[in-house]
Amino acid sequence: MRPDLTTKFAGLTFKNPVTVASGTFGSKDEYAASVDYSKLGAVVTKTVTLQPRQGNPMPRIWETPCGMLNAIGLQNKGVDDFIENKIPYFKKIRTHLIVNIAGESVDDFVALARKLDRVKGVSALELNISCPNVKRGLEFCAKPELAHEVVAAVKGATSLPFFTKLSPEAGDFLGVAEAVIRAGSHALSLINTIRGMAVDIEKRRPQIANVCGGLSGPAIRPIALRFLYEVKRHFEIPVMAMGGIATAQDALEFLITGADLVALGTVNFVHPKATMEVLKGIEAYLKRKGHPSIDDVRGTLQVKSEFENHHVPAG
Amino acid sequence: MTDVDEKVMYDETVTILENQKVNAQYYKLVFSSKRISRRVRAGQFVNLQVEDSSDPLLRRPLSYYRVRSERVELLYEVLGRGTALLAQKKRGHKVNVLGPLGHPFSQTLNGKRRLLVGGGVGVPPLLFLAEHAGREKHAPVFLIGCKSKGEVLPKRELSNVKGEVLYATEDGSYGQRGLVTVLLQKLLEKGDPKSWFIQTCGPHAMLAAVMKLARQFGVEGEASIDERMACGVGACLGCVVETREGFKTSCVEGPVFSFRDLVG
Repeated sequence: MRPDLTTKFAGLTFKNPVTVASGTFGSKDEYAASVDYSKLGAVVTKTVTLQPRQGNPMPRIWETPCGMLNAIGLQNKGVDDFIENKIPYFKKIRTHLIVNIAGESVDDFVALARKLDRVKGVSALELNISCPNVKRGLEFCAKPELAHEVVAAVKGATSLPFFTKLSPEAGDFLGVAEAVIRAGSHALSLINTIRGMAVDIEKRRPQIANVCGGLSGPAIRPIALRFLYEVKRHFEIPVMAMGGIATAQDALEFLITGADLVALGTVNFVHPKATMEVLKGIEAYLKRKGHPSIDDVRGTLQVKSEFENHHVPAG
Repeated sequence: MTDVDEKVMYDETVTILENQKVNAQYYKLVFSSKRISRRVRAGQFVNLQVEDSSDPLLRRPLSYYRVRSERVELLYEVLGRGTALLAQKKRGHKVNVLGPLGHPFSQTLNGKRRLLVGGGVGVPPLLFLAEHAGREKHAPVFLIGCKSKGEVLPKRELSNVKGEVLYATEDGSYGQRGLVTVLLQKLLEKGDPKSWFIQTCGPHAMLAAVMKLARQFGVEGEASIDERMACGVGACLGCVVETREGFKTSCVEGPVFSFRDLVG
């Protein structure tokens, strides 16, 4: 029998926990030649903003060991174009559409949430309060009060469930997570990229025009896993986990640590079919372990006592 | 070749048939793919994964150089770690390719005469174009710029190119001394420059100089613009080019753009 991968939270039923990280799967049919979107648990689109954004100057990307830096700068044609030209494509796709939104002010987030609230076909929103590559991108995620303010405002502006995407760079990470949950976010997404840098020694210039870029890929996977662990230890909140997840083995590490959804990101650029491989691998693991459901695995991480965890010498 | 359908992309693991150095600058990689060979057009590229590992993480975009029935040939230059690893691959090794990708060069030119201007890694896609331009009334003229004689392609690599091939070397060791634009300017000053259609590929500075001359002489054309790339399918927006209508992706809307669309 095929294992049951159904995942439920915030009033949504996902056919499986495998999805894609915003910004790595385009906004429409970019991967339709490789992936049957209807087989994914959800599709998460690239960030949409209220007004069109041209994005950052070139160069925007640089490869690093087991990862890449990017500073795209939220290039997109704006929410009106998105609603008119992108969303209709998903009408025939039998999966959840999660729209990632970003604003420069609380009012921007509210306006975006209001516009998308009325659009048929949108299952949920993801609030990007953690983009490292635009002016004020990380501001809302830097302080619990600001994070609370934006989440509470969005909560009042839409009836859609929403995820709030956090940065590992928020100084008071757990404080921000707590504020976001208290303000009514239905779920968290973690983690966004981590700022990094590289230099062209011939030209003595940064490899990225924006100087710094967000580091993604397998290089940040252990960091992402650690943040998931911390959040799950402290809060009862559904989490969409991302950060270097590329294989079924990676996805299972996150699921066992408690992830509700696992989003593949940078790997899509390299292996367009990675999501499909991960799905097969998760099913194979459940079969091998004799588990009928993903719930038999999710959040089952065995951790010894806090005492031993802190390396207090025994005896 | 069938009609071009830019939405078709194959994801194939192919076996290397040949991988060898052809001169001081280029390596030639050959593999067999029935599907890719039938679809590919000059100016398109393949996004090749050198190793099935996380490091190097990304694929390498390489342009097509020649297709002979099911044999697909790529010319590449060793520029960094990825291409250095690729150069070590032997016959029989396997690599994964996504392709054909990108918007190709125009095949038909409305009666204009083809003028190809290439430099560095920009030469291979133009060689592909020159080979397939054989049936035109006027044979194309191909201008190639390189640093010195060691980078000049062996004659056998050019044996199927119709028309005249002229070289410019920066150190004057072969052909015209100086940049390829010296040859271009001489050519455009002779006769009717508007009878030409330029198709160019090479380093950014060369493209800018070619487009400047083209504008000066009122010549139309297309440039293939090489940018750092990740996905190759228009998803990451890492490889954009500035056009009159804003940033466009080099991987899907390009790499070939009309001079009219490009800024600067």
